[in-house]
Amino acid sequence: MTHSVRRLTRCAVLTALALAISVCEGLVPLSILIPLPGLRLGLANLVTVYALCRLSAREAFGILMARCLLGAIVGGNLSALAFSLTGGILAFAVMWLLLHVRGLSLFGVCIAGAAAHNTGQILAAMGVLASPAIAVYLAPLLLASILTGAVTGAASILLVQRVPWGDSGRT
Amino acid sequence: MRSSAADRTRPTLLDGLVVLVVLVAAGAILFAFRPKAGNFLTARIVLDNELVAEIPLSDLDEPVTMEVPGAKYPITVEAERGRVRVAHSDCPSQDCVHTGWVSRSGGQIVCLPNRLVITVTGGTAEADAVTG
Repeated sequence: MTHSVRRLTRCAVLTALALAISVCEGLVPLSILIPLPGLRLGLANLVTVYALCRLSAREAFGILMARCLLGAIVGGNLSALAFSLTGGILAFAVMWLLLHVRGLSLFGVCIAGAAAHNTGQILAAMGVLASPAIAVYLAPLLLASILTGAVTGAASILLVQRVPWGDSGRT
Repeated sequence: MRSSAADRTRPTLLDGLVVLVVLVAAGAILFAFRPKAGNFLTARIVLDNELVAEIPLSDLDEPVTMEVPGAKYPITVEAERGRVRVAHSDCPSQDCVHTGWVSRSGGQIVCLPNRLVITVTGGTAEADAVTG
């Protein structure tokens, strides 16, 4: 009983955190500096990475879904839901797979996650616009994802190292 | 979940491989879409809000001239591979003639007295921006 309440609370707090981060990030869009559609630092991904490392894949996925849905409602932009969902799910799948690969650090995981997120977004955009022309944005977005992924990777290393809260060994 | 990645603080050699894969993917996409980008240019001639003619500028092997049918002041459009201009017009302002060659996607030639607009479309200009 206490165990499940604890899990639920943990997920709820992380969802709220992810939502707050993505809203704050939306206030200072990176695309002002570099005019690329869909470009963002992806700080909310930190929460997904943290949940994947310190909680479980199931919880991490639940947090991600809740964040995407609530983010679309809070942001008042339901049409963006398709983009964030496809990007988010693809990034989640790639990061989950790569976390099982030995010899990778969170730098690599986050860079691959950022690249997967951008790929998912572009795929969704191609579907929405019914035009492959949008794929020209993918190459610069992929290059940018190396940078943004490295930044979130560095941040997630700090986060995962310093906040061992919820480590399954100690619950 | 137990993962070795979660316990590392320094980038590893495999991280470099991930970066390399992303770089190669970006390069491949850039390469795959380069031939099409800016290549498929089309000149659309619109007179009085009606499409009169569409000239595929990329496919032209030799210059083409055409009189625009139905124009108030006789006007001659000249097109060659990748560009288009108004070669001659009897309109009073002659702005359309002075615009000269237009070769960039999104470029326009306007002949206001004739209510004629020539728009060059194609290449990568199908969408200006996508947000979200």
